[in-house]
Amino acid sequence: MTGRRVVITAGSAITPIGHTRGEIVDSLRRGVSGVKPLKEDHLLSKFIHSKVFGTVDYPVEFDFKRVHRKTMGPVAYYACQVAKETLEQSGLPHEFITSGRLGVAFGSTHGSPSVQRDIYKTFFTGAQTEFSTIGAVDYLKSMVHTTAVNITKMFGITGRVISSSTACTTSSQSIGYGYESVKYGMQDAMLCGGADEYDTTTVAVFDNLLACSTAFNDRPQCTPRPFDRLRDGLVVGEGAGAVLLEEYEHARQRGADILGEVIGFACNNNGGDLILPNMNGISETLRLGLKDAALNPDQVDFVSAHATGTKMGDVIEAQAIYAVYGAHPLVTGLKGYMGHTMGSCGAIETILTLYMMREGFIAPTLNLDEPDERCAMIRHTPALETRQIAIAGIQNFAFGGVNTSLLIRRFV
Amino acid sequence: MTREQITSAILEIFRREFEMENPGLDDNLRETGEFDSVDAIELLLEIERFLKTELTHEEKQMAMEIRTIRQIIDYVELLAKKRNENGNKQDR
Repeated sequence: MTGRRVVITAGSAITPIGHTRGEIVDSLRRGVSGVKPLKEDHLLSKFIHSKVFGTVDYPVEFDFKRVHRKTMGPVAYYACQVAKETLEQSGLPHEFITSGRLGVAFGSTHGSPSVQRDIYKTFFTGAQTEFSTIGAVDYLKSMVHTTAVNITKMFGITGRVISSSTACTTSSQSIGYGYESVKYGMQDAMLCGGADEYDTTTVAVFDNLLACSTAFNDRPQCTPRPFDRLRDGLVVGEGAGAVLLEEYEHARQRGADILGEVIGFACNNNGGDLILPNMNGISETLRLGLKDAALNPDQVDFVSAHATGTKMGDVIEAQAIYAVYGAHPLVTGLKGYMGHTMGSCGAIETILTLYMMREGFIAPTLNLDEPDERCAMIRHTPALETRQIAIAGIQNFAFGGVNTSLLIRRFV
Repeated sequence: MTREQITSAILEIFRREFEMENPGLDDNLRETGEFDSVDAIELLLEIERFLKTELTHEEKQMAMEIRTIRQIIDYVELLAKKRNENGNKQDR
């Protein structure tokens, strides 16, 4: 289907490897890991076998008024901070932001698990004795769409709201659905992204499924190891990412700085097992993405793989990449640097790809020392490469069998 | 419980919970933009804590018309008097 061109005119991320573009680029160039020991939460951490986490271990200055803070749990703080930075960076005037022509596509895996725990404590421990009612703001802080609507509230955004909550594909869906909203004329701009806070519930879930890395608890920086022979599972992380998608003519006429262009998106479902990745489903979503972008496979020169570092997931993904793209594009698993930032990973990985596009380099997969022979057929980025990415494919896959593929073109 | 004690407690709640220092007793709280429907529900919870009692559904509904701090003080004074007269029957 034809439609309007959609460009990216701003972006910001809070990641385990840095907050500003300079910090993140420096971490990628120097091969810095943001994986640290799992923090004690006095609840689940002592039961979890994986003792590592992709951690935001630097202070973030949140300068929010009480009227905004009062409905925000930690995940909404992250979301509103990257949203604020992105809108400031974009230079969009207040009149446009509040006009109804800008919408929001933003989500998270759970909402705020830490607030949810406090609510449940009220019921199960009798902590509030006579006054065991859920506070008015508790639901607003904890609900699944808390990120999106705290953003609309803070900035007075009155366009459409899409709040995807599909775990690992949350923010790639945000970007994809936001792209379609602008492409087909429902909105002139969309603020898109995802966030997830530090949460041991998510770690416990993966830990119980034997999917978490446990062999490098004494060397957190050595895990995860996407595609590597010694990989032993994923590392859960926290973070947030936001991008501003804008109709191209609108961006051009106001002289916006264009970071890249979204040229295709696809999403499908495996239609079966809710945990195991599916070669056919993944391959099909990659093909659908190429079709949406009207591209041949050999036009994609870089793939940001989902590559969580699990035994089977990485193998199936490598096979799918090879089946669709062959050995042409350079492939990097960015989660090697920061773990799996869950609902924010699609947005963060898009932003990191945009940074590499602009800076003219491609970072290799951190901790990929020796590819598993079943993953070796694709072209892994061998080292820090000075190279201009023309078109990137950013792919993510989630529990529930949800698959996404985004195609981004460097804007010239 | 005197009106002065109630006034002092309400102003402390506004300072501590709503970050409003020295609000005017007759200011329309909704119009200041600093206090909204969510805050109104939170205020009821604070009043329950202060009076160490649970408000009935009807008492909470009565509170929804309140717009100024002076009206809040009147409301709490009424509740305190009612509880005192009823021998705190509604207390848990």
